[in-house]
Amino acid sequence: MKRTTKRGVAVGLVAVVALASAGAIVASQLGDSPPPDLAALDKAIQSEPMTRVADIPSADGLAERGVFVQVTSTGEVCLWDAPSAQARGRMGGCNDASDLLGGSKISASLAYDGGPATADVRDARMIGLVDPAVAMVRVLMSDGSYRTVKLLGSKIQGRSYGAFGYRFRRSDLAKGIGPVAVVATDASGTEIGRQPTGFGG
Amino acid sequence: MGRLWALGAVALIFLTLASSALAGIYAGPWRWSAGQGAGSGFSDHWLENYFATYGSGYDKTVTFIDNRTYGWHNTVRNTSGQTTTYPPYPGVYKAHCVANVSGFYGSCTVH
Repeated sequence: MKRTTKRGVAVGLVAVVALASAGAIVASQLGDSPPPDLAALDKAIQSEPMTRVADIPSADGLAERGVFVQVTSTGEVCLWDAPSAQARGRMGGCNDASDLLGGSKISASLAYDGGPATADVRDARMIGLVDPAVAMVRVLMSDGSYRTVKLLGSKIQGRSYGAFGYRFRRSDLAKGIGPVAVVATDASGTEIGRQPTGFGG
Repeated sequence: MGRLWALGAVALIFLTLASSALAGIYAGPWRWSAGQGAGSGFSDHWLENYFATYGSGYDKTVTFIDNRTYGWHNTVRNTSGQTTTYPPYPGVYKAHCVANVSGFYGSCTVH
């Protein structure tokens, strides 16, 4: 290999690493905080208590599950879809405690088994937290209909939120009708938050 | 001089990749585009699959794919800073993550 080619390869490799590092720095500079130490977060998730804030009722032969909030010592608030407060297996996510709705009026999480075709999904559930300004949460389905979910009041770190859990009907899924978006409205019926699910739409 | 440069660059790349591998990172950290996905290797002892981002509010998906039907299991889609799921038991699965929007920075980790 000629010297100039070697130098070109070296410069290219250094550029790749530099770009990767620069991306992280730019992301931070743009106001996005870096993710927490995942090892520490995982340890906290596995050892710290969870509080049940809503239910996911049993249906179609599927067992009841719960919606759990976990405030961790690492400064995160996690929202989980899990069979119990002791379960290691849980589905959901965590946000920084200072912004637990991620800058929105609604933070929802969809969990499902099977797919990707809606008719092949065996179980689909939606959980979430909403700002106190939210009066109603509905799920827009792919046939244009809505499913209203029950909101329960919950106090997290001294502030009020609404919490919900919803299990989609197997009869809907079997017909290929899936959730397109979850929509939050205020007391006047004005939409103040929307999160797409990218599912069934 | 050129050889020294190449050696230094390769060492830097190796160290970057090695630290990622030790942390269980199978994709990123990098800037994601909508529809972009990544997967780990298959294993019967994965415990959790994380998609962690700089900041929150970015729509993304994590799942486990089995090695028989390549079906998706325990799929989770949300906009949390860390989106998390776990594999069914028993079975051999690979962790998979997908960005549903563009323009955020993050990485996928399995352990």
